[in-house]
Amino acid sequence: MKPVVTKFSQVTKIYPVQQERTLKDVIPQLLRLKPWAVPQASLKDVSFEINQGESVGIVGRNGAGKSTTLKLIAGVTYPTQGSLEVTGRIAPLIELTAGFHHELNGFENIFLNGAILGMSRREIEAKVTQIVDFSELHDYMYQPVKRYSTGMFMRLGFSIAVHTSADILLIDEVLAVGDDYFQQKSLDRLEKIRQDGQVTTVFVSHDQRSVERFCDRSLLLVDGQLVAAGPPAQIFKQYHRLPNKSF
Amino acid sequence: MLFIHQLLLPLTEYRYLWRQLTQRDIKARYKQSIIGYAWIILNPLSQILVYTFVFSIVFRFPTDIPYPVFLFAGLLPWIFMQNSVMAATNSLVNSAALLKKVQFPREVIPYAAVGSKLIDLLFSWVIFAVLLMFFGVKLAATSWLILPLLVIQLLLTVGISLIGAAANLFYRDSQYLINLLLLLWLYMSPVVYPVSMVPPQFLWYYKLNPLVGILEGYRSALFNQPFETNIIGWSAGVSIIVFLGGFVLFKRSERYFADIV
Repeated sequence: MKPVVTKFSQVTKIYPVQQERTLKDVIPQLLRLKPWAVPQASLKDVSFEINQGESVGIVGRNGAGKSTTLKLIAGVTYPTQGSLEVTGRIAPLIELTAGFHHELNGFENIFLNGAILGMSRREIEAKVTQIVDFSELHDYMYQPVKRYSTGMFMRLGFSIAVHTSADILLIDEVLAVGDDYFQQKSLDRLEKIRQDGQVTTVFVSHDQRSVERFCDRSLLLVDGQLVAAGPPAQIFKQYHRLPNKSF
Repeated sequence: MLFIHQLLLPLTEYRYLWRQLTQRDIKARYKQSIIGYAWIILNPLSQILVYTFVFSIVFRFPTDIPYPVFLFAGLLPWIFMQNSVMAATNSLVNSAALLKKVQFPREVIPYAAVGSKLIDLLFSWVIFAVLLMFFGVKLAATSWLILPLLVIQLLLTVGISLIGAAANLFYRDSQYLINLLLLLWLYMSPVVYPVSMVPPQFLWYYKLNPLVGILEGYRSALFNQPFETNIIGWSAGVSIIVFLGGFVLFKRSERYFADIV
């Protein structure tokens, strides 16, 4: 059995949701030292483990707590109750272009984003050719990325993220990376990473086909609670049987 | 031990990230401008011209050195402080997408804002030193003492920047409040006028402002005047407390950044 790389123990995450606030409402509450935010639970008492090399799909409706789970694994937010342990470097394939600066050129953005994702200068220098090759953006490297199309933007973001030698990849919803050709190339790349068996993948989606293709195991979240875990096909059967709910 | 380790993380494990973010700030600022980096000279230069007209020709402030020279010694560090605090205050809000995506010690973001302004300050110091020497002003041999004074000012600046950055993430009112306080602080500090103009009965309270010791220290170093070591010591003490206090506050609120941004 491979080592556990992510372990949620009875994790509850409550977000403070700010209500409408005017000065008239806020001042009396401030005087009583009371926050005016109303707590809203996003995950309730969730426990699970993920082993190294596993590929896990998190399935659930909008607002079920999928993104919260990814944020907790990424370490950008913390559980309100319970505890979690995550080991290894994480590469979030979420908002691929969040660290980009529009005025800087392709190369400058590779170094900037590599640093943001935790790479050292030496690591980036060693990988920069591979990153450019994979993105196939050789001719655009000296242009500011604001001249890039959305697809090119995504391609560069994806190329940097998959070259970080991360231990855990976090993939959110529809991974749209450029045109059909590059989309296929990205999926093939992820497939290869998965088959190597060293990197753990956590995949959030409602797309049955991609979850079944990529994941060994699925977790079903309903209203912040973990209701089932098992093979993707079985989990999707349960998912489709969920009562309809309008938001 | 753990606290010291945490304090030093931006200098050790995250130094490359700090450097990259600082470079980003500097490069991005001037990419789509015509005269680019020359702005770091033009901006203080134009302020010096205006202040010189107002306070040396209209009001005729009594300074023992030529007024523009007196002004430059206080104005450049002030501009550094003001720009740093304002940039750092907005820095976390501007990086909202990153805060929700990747984990790293968040203080690196405001540190990078201060870092890019610090490089501006060093550049403008060098250029103004050359200009002054060209116009026949002799800089004293004690001038190197501005460096330890800069360290004190840096601690004060970073402390305030950390508080501003975190506060602005919780309440966007903070940036307006901070801009207002900076304006008041400018006039409560000996930037455009000499301390000698402050009425003696207020002087004791006036010197509680940590910038007084720092700015007067710069002038003493550059123009070889006696140092008032006790007020410089007070400034150093206040700056260290502000820095440590700011750091602790920042680290305590850090875990909520992604939730409230």
